[in-house]
Amino acid sequence: MRPSWVSTLLGVAASAFLAVFFLLPLGVILQRSFADAGALAHVASNPFYWQRLGFTTGQALLSTLLTVAVGLPGALLFARYAFAGKRLLTAAFTIPFVMPTVVAGIGFLALFGRRGLLGLDLRNTLLLVLLAHVFYNYAIVVRVVGSFLEGAAPRLLEAASTLGAGAWRGTLRVSLPLARPALFAAATLVFLFCFTSFGVILILAPAPRLATLEVEIYQLTAHLLELGQAAVLVLAQLIVVGAVTLVYTRMQSRLSLALPTPARALPRPQGAARAVLGLNTAVAALLILSPLAALAVQALQGPGGRFPSLANLGFAARPSAVIGFASLGLALRNSLLFATLSTLVALAVGFAFAYAVARGRWRILDQLSLLPLATSPITLGFGYLLAFPALVAHPWGIPLAHALIAFPFVARSLLPALRGLDPGHGAAAATLGAGPWRTLWRVELPQLGPALLTAASFAFAVSMGEFGATLLLARPEYATLPVAIYDRLGRPGAQHHGAAMALALLLMLVTGAVMMLLQRRGRSEF
Amino acid sequence: MSLRLDELRKHYGATRAVDGVSLDLGERETLALLGPSGCGKSTLLRLMAGLEAPDAGRVSLDGADITALPPQRRRFGMVFQDYALFPHLNVAQNVAFGLVELGWSRDDQRRRVRELLDLVGLEGLEQRRVQQLSGGQQQRVALARALAPRPEVLLLDEPLSNLDQTLREALKEELRGLLSSLPVRAVYVTHDQSEAFAIGRRVAIMRAGRITQAGTREQVLERPRSGWLARFLGHRNLYGREAVAAVPVAPRADTVLLRADLITILPVGPTPAGSAPAADDPRDGRAGTRATVRRARRDGLRWQLDLTLPAWGIELAWEGYARELPEAPLEGSQLALSVPAEAWLALEEP
Repeated sequence: MRPSWVSTLLGVAASAFLAVFFLLPLGVILQRSFADAGALAHVASNPFYWQRLGFTTGQALLSTLLTVAVGLPGALLFARYAFAGKRLLTAAFTIPFVMPTVVAGIGFLALFGRRGLLGLDLRNTLLLVLLAHVFYNYAIVVRVVGSFLEGAAPRLLEAASTLGAGAWRGTLRVSLPLARPALFAAATLVFLFCFTSFGVILILAPAPRLATLEVEIYQLTAHLLELGQAAVLVLAQLIVVGAVTLVYTRMQSRLSLALPTPARALPRPQGAARAVLGLNTAVAALLILSPLAALAVQALQGPGGRFPSLANLGFAARPSAVIGFASLGLALRNSLLFATLSTLVALAVGFAFAYAVARGRWRILDQLSLLPLATSPITLGFGYLLAFPALVAHPWGIPLAHALIAFPFVARSLLPALRGLDPGHGAAAATLGAGPWRTLWRVELPQLGPALLTAASFAFAVSMGEFGATLLLARPEYATLPVAIYDRLGRPGAQHHGAAMALALLLMLVTGAVMMLLQRRGRSEF
Repeated sequence: MSLRLDELRKHYGATRAVDGVSLDLGERETLALLGPSGCGKSTLLRLMAGLEAPDAGRVSLDGADITALPPQRRRFGMVFQDYALFPHLNVAQNVAFGLVELGWSRDDQRRRVRELLDLVGLEGLEQRRVQQLSGGQQQRVALARALAPRPEVLLLDEPLSNLDQTLREALKEELRGLLSSLPVRAVYVTHDQSEAFAIGRRVAIMRAGRITQAGTREQVLERPRSGWLARFLGHRNLYGREAVAAVPVAPRADTVLLRADLITILPVGPTPAGSAPAADDPRDGRAGTRATVRRARRDGLRWQLDLTLPAWGIELAWEGYARELPEAPLEGSQLALSVPAEAWLALEEP
């Protein structure tokens, strides 16, 4: 069908928004990093920064390897067998991925911090960083690889078994080679997230020797005000991240391999497979659920060991005498307000974008949609600082940044739904007298309900949990829950620790509730 | 030396997918397992392959009980309905999959792959990706892959159902030739009668988890034991005891089948001497009666007639080519029928 003027209009609007609020800040950073020759020379000749780049890459690689090692057996087994509680477990394993980094960090602090439940202080160790990264990214491997294999592998494994290849040989000769593109795609994504790790590091390993580039950029910008050097580091990070993203999109396009129809029902595991599945599930459950449980325990611990108690929450709610210290009420209000605003913006832009790509001649935009995903929050926040100084003191600064961070998720949720719409409906509506706007309003939007809800809950959860950009852009009166939690961690005393735990529990519950909606509805294109 | 199934049972919840099936498959024999969709024939095939474990019963091969043997140790080749070709392997690698499991040398594998691709007419496509093949080619690869390791039994699960009509006809002929020339016993599952009777020297009919009749294709086609099977095979003239009570030549049974394909239609009126009689003639077992054309329709080259036989008090559906009719039939016109005794069949079950 001919692209309608509506799709052209929406395409122009989406492009304009992305140009101003995404490309422009990036451009300003690039200009800044090249303009300041002194900073460039300083960074390039300073072994410390090379060390940081090395460490950032190394820890990301290690984290990726570990995550794959833990996640792959789970993915293979989940895709292959049916067992009691599988749906529940799948949902549980997804929790960390959708949890704000601050919640993940605080959870591990509740286990391994100075006041942690285990009495074993692992802060400022690489081990704790790796653990947190595995916790955070496990779901990516299981989801991406598992859902890719789930459709086809069981059927192909049956065929393999009639040709003499049993469970192990089938895994080796069919499942693994089949899963390779999905595995690489998942690993690339995990690497990206770990490479730009920020909140986890800031909370669990603030020691300079464990700082990632992302943390270093934040320190240079927020504390040292070395904007020139920060811009150079952003450039270095963008180069790595851009290259890896390119690899990821390549991998992703190969996932559309034609696979045969799914098996009618998955078999139940038996013998060795059963033992491996049990062990893997137990380890994963321990890794994933224990930090969250520890967080809940510490959040509800009252003075003198009373349990459960709301004392921590009460303390967090008290207006503080310290200037620039957001109370629970203020932080919650800011978080909800910003999340609502950024969800609206992200939905509007994401819909315009997806509609233009799916309906019009805007294929080139399609490639662009993952770009913001590859741009770290600190980069974005830093870009806003440089490009729009006025936005920093403005209540719209944070929602705009959040909307942009949520944009890839929104676009990728809406795209498959829009592509799935029958173009015949549009033609039918046109012959019945409905123009493009009326068709959009009466035919297409009503069919997109579930996808829009998915996209909205994604955007809302992203904004609720966003930490890096908010930390850079937030003035005290605009502090959100994650910022308020981080502020309290920096204060001495058990009361502040408890308050941070209580706020983190609150954040976890709100995010969890939003994501529950998501779990029930459609799927996104990742 | 045979594949034997003894009282196999498989239930899914309350559904009895396979409900006590016993079958015997001899050396070099091709059995077609025919039944409507949902009758349990695919499940039965999966039980033979070992892809499902039976709730009760026994599978034995050449006297050895293999019920507990996993599929990878049975050496049964299987052609799946959707082929289940490995998308990460090319044509040659797909065909060689089972040979690798058997530990064949690379040279032997190459030779065998070439041999099979020649057999199924895909020579030269070794390096092709399976996604680049047409449906018919994929089907041939699936067959070659199943045959490559020289299976004890070849199982085919509706192998032609994903192809279009023309291709299906062509491949059906090819498969028939191939299966009768190869020294392999095969079980061919289908819901399509023409496939079943073209390919199976023996045919077993399955209904609701049970084998209702098994025998040579002639036995099954010409002497269906039940009314259900007769209708399933396309017979349309079935009568109850009361309906045939007035027909002097009909057998006395609860359900009676009149095979319209054996009836000859003659012109009414003075017949030349020596031609088939229009009245009862007990000498050659033929009976004659008059019929009125109630409805006449053309379906392509064939005529479909709904006839009323007033003397016998029954209705008859007949179809055939125009040349089998004395003149173009008009509704309300009269015909004479010659009905041989063997056209009447007493059925054991309704």
